[in-house]
Amino acid sequence: MAVEEDGAVAVEANKDRFGLSWRPELAAGVLLNRGRVDCIEVISDDYLDADAKRVRALVALSRELPVLLHSIHLGPATTSRVEDAPIEKLARLVDRIRPESWSEHVAFVRAGGIEVGHLAAPPRDAATVDGTLANLDRIRRLTGTAPEIENIATLIEPPGSTMTEQAWLTAIFAACPNGWLFDLHNVYANAINFGFDAREFLASLPPDRVHTIHLAGGKWIEDRAENRRYLDDHLHPVPGPVYDLLAFTAARAPRPLTVILERDGDFPPTADLLAELDLARAAVARGRKVLHDHAAI
Amino acid sequence: MTTPPFEAFLARLYTDAAFRERVMADPRGEAQRAGLSAEQSEAIARLDRPGLGFTARSLEKKKRLRPS
Repeated sequence: MAVEEDGAVAVEANKDRFGLSWRPELAAGVLLNRGRVDCIEVISDDYLDADAKRVRALVALSRELPVLLHSIHLGPATTSRVEDAPIEKLARLVDRIRPESWSEHVAFVRAGGIEVGHLAAPPRDAATVDGTLANLDRIRRLTGTAPEIENIATLIEPPGSTMTEQAWLTAIFAACPNGWLFDLHNVYANAINFGFDAREFLASLPPDRVHTIHLAGGKWIEDRAENRRYLDDHLHPVPGPVYDLLAFTAARAPRPLTVILERDGDFPPTADLLAELDLARAAVARGRKVLHDHAAI
Repeated sequence: MTTPPFEAFLARLYTDAAFRERVMADPRGEAQRAGLSAEQSEAIARLDRPGLGFTARSLEKKKRLRPS
């Protein structure tokens, strides 16, 4: 925020940006609609072992549209030390692409030589807070930059947890300089599955650290015993309450926000995704109005 | 308190269907055989079984889709 001559606090709301996760299936639609897609988020894992030609293509793409890199494979939320080799490989890609920012999840993805295959919520306790902080510090030193860190969705309250998700994330944020990638659909899903208030959760975390927002969709799933959970699957439109959480966040976060719509499959027509980006723009505008009105008082 | 062996136990629980069945049949016994502490064994015995089933199935599907 900047203080203007009349003393009002100017929020750089005009720099809020709205983009899409980059998937080959969406490439044509994104490139044909550059006026409505401000930036893209690329999964870095797809390029870690890519040949020079593919990396050059990504460099060329980054000259057309601002690129953010998004990592899945490091898994820093563990009491074990993340190995140097994958961090150094990612550091080389970051150095080559020079993205505007890059991000990683506070998840664990392997332990004891076993690959989980995706993001798993670690037991939330003091040991995993310490382990996460140590790994984030090593990642920062080896890559030369601090990734934004993202909250994840989980379908199980991690066994062995002694802290709530809110307390665990708060402890991590209090002790590291990293920016925050708020995945609002993950907050929404966890709030439904574990019975907490998503707004209270968001209000408890430091808004000045929020740089990037993820939006996505999901669906209800049920097992044979008719137990139900809400699944973050990135295959459905963003539910209405998530736009409300976006407006709520925009009303509190002073930095310009980059909002990324994630879609991993069952791709709708590009027009539908652009319409979802417009809904995101409208939600951020609602939130920014609240922030401006509050700042002007 | 979380330790690397406890995380390894969870990683196997989430990804190995046969191991998962054995743990569900005898959680404390499997946890003790894996060298987990009494406190960790108790956490395994008390875990959210529907949540474990959903998690295992979701991880298997997401492995194929990949991005988060």
